[in-house]
Amino acid sequence: MTETVIETENLCKQFGRKAALWDVTLKVPRGGVHALIGSNGAGKSTLFRVLLGLTRPTSGQSRVLGVPSEELEPELRGRIGLVTEGHYLPEWMRVDRLVAMQRTQYRQWDEAAFRQVVEHFNVHTDQRVKQLSRGERAGVSLAMALAQRPELLILDEPTLGLDVVAKQIFLDSLLFVVEHDDCTLIYCSHQMDEVERVAETLTLMEKGRVMLEMPVDEVGQRISGWLVGLRPGLSLKGIPGLLSSRHLEDLTELVVLDADERLQEALQTLGAASTTQIPLSFERAINACLSGGPGLGPSDLTLPFPISRAS
Amino acid sequence: MIKITTGDSRPIFQQIVDDFRLRIVSGELAPHTKLPSVRALAMQLTVNPNTVAKAYGRLTAEGLIESRNRVGVFVCEPKSFLSDVERGRRLEEATERFVSAVAALGFSEDDILRRLADRLSELSLHEREP
Repeated sequence: MTETVIETENLCKQFGRKAALWDVTLKVPRGGVHALIGSNGAGKSTLFRVLLGLTRPTSGQSRVLGVPSEELEPELRGRIGLVTEGHYLPEWMRVDRLVAMQRTQYRQWDEAAFRQVVEHFNVHTDQRVKQLSRGERAGVSLAMALAQRPELLILDEPTLGLDVVAKQIFLDSLLFVVEHDDCTLIYCSHQMDEVERVAETLTLMEKGRVMLEMPVDEVGQRISGWLVGLRPGLSLKGIPGLLSSRHLEDLTELVVLDADERLQEALQTLGAASTTQIPLSFERAINACLSGGPGLGPSDLTLPFPISRAS
Repeated sequence: MIKITTGDSRPIFQQIVDDFRLRIVSGELAPHTKLPSVRALAMQLTVNPNTVAKAYGRLTAEGLIESRNRVGVFVCEPKSFLSDVERGRRLEEATERFVSAVAALGFSEDDILRRLADRLSELSLHEREP
């Protein structure tokens, strides 16, 4: 078994003049839950399509479970699960018929795992897909993906549009798998509270590039918030590690990566009247990386990207 | 039981560690109390089991809990694994954090000291025998 489940090297995908993926070099180690975060259009879905061999990259390489994406055979595809937002299933089918069909496709089908998850969601298998609520459909879709016993399970916005109860059941079912199975999860979500609870590492994409990779529980240490008294109209470009900034009356709020003495020096040079560190929640820390703040798109940042790699 | 706040600036494993540590040193969780298993606590809090395992690992390293083979995780008899120097360093560090957090709030020194004394007396701390 390979040590990494996903490996890409300098992956680029160009749509006309737009780079959907730009120099993406990633290594996802086997095991655990890895979050992939990015605004809409950051390149996540394109990355999955390239990884699964559904579209060819313009340049660069990618391997999934040790095999180049363009050479994935059906047997290997069977070891990869994919749950996408919307949970599209054939509406006219009864759940049990749908499952009977799925079962024939996967050698390792685990009926017990399927039943356990589906029962969580209180789905009766003689129902037609059409009669299921959105949450129940998500349950069937997750149950089918898990019953497949995937080595790699990609979840793309799986809880989007689910109510609180369905979301809770969904996460419970997922965490149950994390503990028991030797399954690597890639979790895409805009729900930062979910990411914080579920994921161990996170990769941040913006404008087709990987901006940041770090363990989830280091986010609070590495991304910090500061309230600084600065004269208006100053260029903040020289501030090392600056992720975003906004003006709050006569104070400026800065969100900074890996603040150290160089930050203090830069602020002194700018003539900062006062500097106070402020507590930053996980969500605000991540959003600062995504939005880039007013006038500070990621491409304008003074940081060399990618900033760092999770070791 | 423990409540996890996802808006907190502390990572989740740290919240679990802090919560248990406080309950243990305050005596709310007496020595030999059995803690929930990693899996049970993860399910209860809806967090990754590896996060709970990490928190338990930290508490074990601090000598607050111990895992007994196949039986479960238990609160230890109070003891200090830390050297005097390390204890002093941690106290200094915590004081620093506290002072910087309250300095700008506009309370008088007396107010702050009284509040602190109240909270400490709830814990009924006494100096540990070396």
